[in-house]
Amino acid sequence: MNTMRAYYDRYLPWALGIAFLFGLLVFPFYQRESPYWVYVGANALFYAILASSWALLAGYNGQFSFAHMAFMGLATYASGIVGREAGIWALNWSPALSIPFGVLVAGVVGLLIGYLCLRLRSTYLALFTIAFAEILRLVFKAEVDLTGGPNGLYLKTFNLPFLEGLTRYASTYAPMYYTMLAVFLFSLVVMYALVNSRYGIFFRAVREDEEAAAALGVHVVRVRILAFVVSSMIAGLAGAVFHHSPGIGIVVPDEMQIGRMSLVIAMAVIGGSNNLMAAAIGALFLHFALEWLQEIPMPDALMSWLQAHQATLEAWGFGLGEAGLKTNAWRMVAFGILLMVTLRFWRNGLVSPILERIMQARAKEEVARGRAAKAGKDLADVDKLVVDESPNEGGQ
Amino acid sequence: MRLELKKVVKQFGGLTAVNGVSFTIEGSQLVGLIGPNGAGKSTLTNLISGILKPTSGEIWFNGERIDGKPPYVIAARGIGRTFQVTRAFRRMTVLENLLTPGLAKFGNRKSRAQLEEEAMEILRFLTMDHLRWEYASNLSGGQQKLLELGRLLMMDPDLIILDEPFAGVHPKLQRTIYDYIKRVKARGKAIILISHDMESIFTLSERLLVLNFGTLIADGPPEEVKENPEVIEAYLGKDEEEDQFLPTAA
Repeated sequence: MNTMRAYYDRYLPWALGIAFLFGLLVFPFYQRESPYWVYVGANALFYAILASSWALLAGYNGQFSFAHMAFMGLATYASGIVGREAGIWALNWSPALSIPFGVLVAGVVGLLIGYLCLRLRSTYLALFTIAFAEILRLVFKAEVDLTGGPNGLYLKTFNLPFLEGLTRYASTYAPMYYTMLAVFLFSLVVMYALVNSRYGIFFRAVREDEEAAAALGVHVVRVRILAFVVSSMIAGLAGAVFHHSPGIGIVVPDEMQIGRMSLVIAMAVIGGSNNLMAAAIGALFLHFALEWLQEIPMPDALMSWLQAHQATLEAWGFGLGEAGLKTNAWRMVAFGILLMVTLRFWRNGLVSPILERIMQARAKEEVARGRAAKAGKDLADVDKLVVDESPNEGGQ
Repeated sequence: MRLELKKVVKQFGGLTAVNGVSFTIEGSQLVGLIGPNGAGKSTLTNLISGILKPTSGEIWFNGERIDGKPPYVIAARGIGRTFQVTRAFRRMTVLENLLTPGLAKFGNRKSRAQLEEEAMEILRFLTMDHLRWEYASNLSGGQQKLLELGRLLMMDPDLIILDEPFAGVHPKLQRTIYDYIKRVKARGKAIILISHDMESIFTLSERLLVLNFGTLIADGPPEEVKENPEVIEAYLGKDEEEDQFLPTAA
């Protein structure tokens, strides 16, 4: 029984991780008849990258920035501008060249903003980044010759021939979906490498108490700026790749508006901003949920009853689609309530505690293995040691 | 190890918190820093550790001028400190709290596994090894004090400043802190001990510095300082007869 428990603790995170990845990989095949949902999936991955990279900055390092969508837009616009064939700063660069350039611009501006924000905390940092984001959005809106103004900037889309074949077996949006999935996995690998390095511990130490961290030798300036630059570049990468994808090809300034930024923050908070994967899962789940709530499918019997009460429904702000109930603005109300409930009762988010529980089981087992190895015991006895261990649940 | 303060002044607006303080600490001395509330002890500590910059004066450490340098540079040079109000990283585990200074140490070449082993040894000494996976927020006040001391052992600085290590600590834990101080001293480290616990400070210190209203009023062996009339006055006030003639506002 104990052996089974040890195996369960050891392999459960791997099993869940593989199942999650498998689900993401087969999704376009599963939804080949519904390209719309594959498109929603690509969008969800875009938001998952933004939410997890925001969690890196805010959850791990304590810098509550509202400029994340601005960096996303900045990289996309920078990439789009140098990719144009004619006009100011037009260099006719292909997306393969212009996207890394856009990401670099986001990184450089992130460095500058990160430096300027060094002495700002909580409310002041939030206000500063809101101001920066709004200025950038308004500049992009006003500079019509450079950015296309409110109508947006048309971008070159990239073609990935090796993914094109998938459209026959999966969905028409499969190339876009798989590109975003690749960026999502790449971002997670980069961010996990960072948080598992010594900088991960420094990020959190600075978040907890900057003065105490500095007194222990942590280079707080470097740590804060690094968090800002990396998260800005990842947001930029997500934005540039997503908007250059076949099926998109345009960016508009209003994508950088504060409402969108709040959505990303809410996704990260509901998932759990102290855990990259939790924030990403929160974003994936909520994006799908919000799309699904647009028109909730209803059985025929209920549809006819709803049709009979259409006037009342419309008076309450609902609507009726072909086969479901349109929630219109109410879906955002539900989203807001979920956010409020999460903040009130589960400050670590809804997904993060579950993931932590799973990972902590693994950590306990690792300690037991280490002890067993040190004591020169056979690792087969590990299960006994796991039971002997009296770990702490470690609430936050 | 040599720490030298030369006429250090710190003013906050019109208030002079530290007023021309000069002293030198050499070798592995255990120096007690005492003074009534508001004497400027914590301000002086913050000046030495770089959290505050002096208004004037100089602070030298091992031949290098350190005043005005950021705290992480001063920490890298070999000055470690605890805080009067415990400042453990609350949402990090005990082990992670200890790993932080180890990983931050300039020129650290130890692997994480080696550092973890080192941290575990320290935790065993502090009788906290069973709490390694516990979040610091779940520890008692005394345990958090021990955790701060453990972080300093990981950091391994040449000079350790302990700001009120005995405050609010259970007598059993106080014993552990005593042992800690002796162990650190045995390693050849210098210690500046700030405490209101007179018994502890007079027992442990080889030398006492006494601050009053930001001014250093005494510097010498505990027996000598104990007899110093200025120190007695600072702690006990003037004679009652004299006092009753002073205006209440004074």
